[in-house]
Amino acid sequence: MTNVLEHEAVPEEGPNPLGISGIEFIEFATSKPQALGGLLEKLGFRPVARHRSREVELYRQGSMNIVVNSQPADRPHTVHPAETPVLSAFALRVRDAEAAFQRVRDLGGWEIPVRARAMELNIPAIHGAGESLIYFVDRYNEFSIYDIDFRAIPSVETKPAAIGDLHFFGIVQYIGPDRTADWVWFYSQLFGFTPLPDRVRFGIMPKGLLLQSPCRSFFLQLIEPEDNARHAAMEEHLQRIGFGTPDVMATVALLEKRGIEFLTSEKVHSNDRGALTKPCLGSVMFELVHDEPSIHTARR
Amino acid sequence: MIIRDFGMSTVSLAGPLDAKLVAIRRAGFSQAMISASEIVGHPGGVAAGVCAVHHSGVAVTGLETLRNFEGLDGRLHDYKVDVAKSMLDLCQDLGGRLLIVEASTSSHANTNADEIIRDLRTLAILAIPKGVRIAFKGVSWSRTASNFAAAGEFVLRANCRNLGLAIDAFDIVAAQAPLDDLDAIDPEQIFVVQLSDFTWQTVPSIAENTATKTRFRVFPGEGAHSDELAAFVSRLDVLGYSGVYSFDVYNDDYQQMPPDAVVTRARRAAEWLEETVLRQSLPVPNIERSRRTAQD
Repeated sequence: MTNVLEHEAVPEEGPNPLGISGIEFIEFATSKPQALGGLLEKLGFRPVARHRSREVELYRQGSMNIVVNSQPADRPHTVHPAETPVLSAFALRVRDAEAAFQRVRDLGGWEIPVRARAMELNIPAIHGAGESLIYFVDRYNEFSIYDIDFRAIPSVETKPAAIGDLHFFGIVQYIGPDRTADWVWFYSQLFGFTPLPDRVRFGIMPKGLLLQSPCRSFFLQLIEPEDNARHAAMEEHLQRIGFGTPDVMATVALLEKRGIEFLTSEKVHSNDRGALTKPCLGSVMFELVHDEPSIHTARR
Repeated sequence: MIIRDFGMSTVSLAGPLDAKLVAIRRAGFSQAMISASEIVGHPGGVAAGVCAVHHSGVAVTGLETLRNFEGLDGRLHDYKVDVAKSMLDLCQDLGGRLLIVEASTSSHANTNADEIIRDLRTLAILAIPKGVRIAFKGVSWSRTASNFAAAGEFVLRANCRNLGLAIDAFDIVAAQAPLDDLDAIDPEQIFVVQLSDFTWQTVPSIAENTATKTRFRVFPGEGAHSDELAAFVSRLDVLGYSGVYSFDVYNDDYQQMPPDAVVTRARRAAEWLEETVLRQSLPVPNIERSRRTAQD
């Protein structure tokens, strides 16, 4: 991994060229939105709004927004069986969405046609890993993208508090063999992410390489296949969301009461550093990571 | 027996794609460089061309050739980015992991090094989500990079892991380039080596070079420069090059011969290289090669 680090050139326009300031939302695509919604509710999310014209729902807790997209046209084609929910996108909060998009496109990002996106607002997006997208959102303070595209579900608390101070900590991306250097280059050149040295680890799932966002508020974890799976066919994809929480064991207890099950094997089990949920609905997993929300400045 | 370290190329053969793939497989080659025009020109359409490759049992060494990409401005640049994206999509559909990009021969191309590097970086980043590597290749009459050393300089300065070199032995033999120039290149950044020879002793002019390069090539071992080719391959082997040797042999005669007859010559070339060149230069890996071969 040290070779990868030495290989990197510092982006020319300073450490945060797009003015990235955290994750605005993470999107799932699924043909079974109720099943996924049920799982999200057990995790403490509440459905707060529905899209005005599309089969898209907004779930929220604390600072986190999760969009559940069940538009048939937005289903990834490479995921089988088709019911399996997949992480289909994440949205970066940026200073100026259109400027960020233009810059990233000029550097080699693949533009996504507007009609293929979950929102009606013109939210610019590019291709990410596999069939996933990366959106750019700049309206996230006094006025939000959801005010236009979504209709609030009546008599629901629109800003439900987070269980155990849960917040977005990162996203795990599974990549092909020997692809770490490529993806490090992609995220560092386009977005200003920084690879972290191998000794820096969070949670209980230490594999792969960590990239820190230029706003230092979240991480991407790149994981290549194990040696014995190197030749198995696998599409690259976003595999799971990591939530930060200041007290992992207390949050695990709260979530277990709500019906979430965590892995308890000898290799992977909950401890003060982190926890991993058992796979649900095919392969949906969530990870908890010990993290104090106060150290991050980029949250509402 | 499967010839593992050598790949055939579809442009070296005549006839429809499906027949070429059958001939390539039948001769024992496990992979081939695919020409984009053969997929696009498949009588059943692009999807049928992709399907033919998938079902042929022949792995894709790479897709060729993106030309005149770097050094363009404004609308021309945007247009070429679209062309590149289309080829990257096709490469991914084929299950290919490599796109051959020839240095520009366009008179519209800007020769400013920074702009060329910027364009190569853009191309490399476009290729990352597709899982494709970019192999940049010097072309003797290019205005931006006329040989592998110049192409290698751009690759080095662009400094992207998925941007490397395609080296065409023809350019080294025809230009009588010193093999020491290879030492400046990181073998990890050589993504593919294309091999061919020609029958004339010398190539005096650029015009003749162009004609020879595109029409009068022959397979290694049957041309006039076997010693030079052998020295080239041996040097690469010593440097630690472990990628594919691809036979790219453009020859008007071969375009009038049955693909089986041509691919048989390619097989003979692979055996010649295996027996006389690679075996001598590196005994240990060749024991491994012989052992693997014996198992097939």
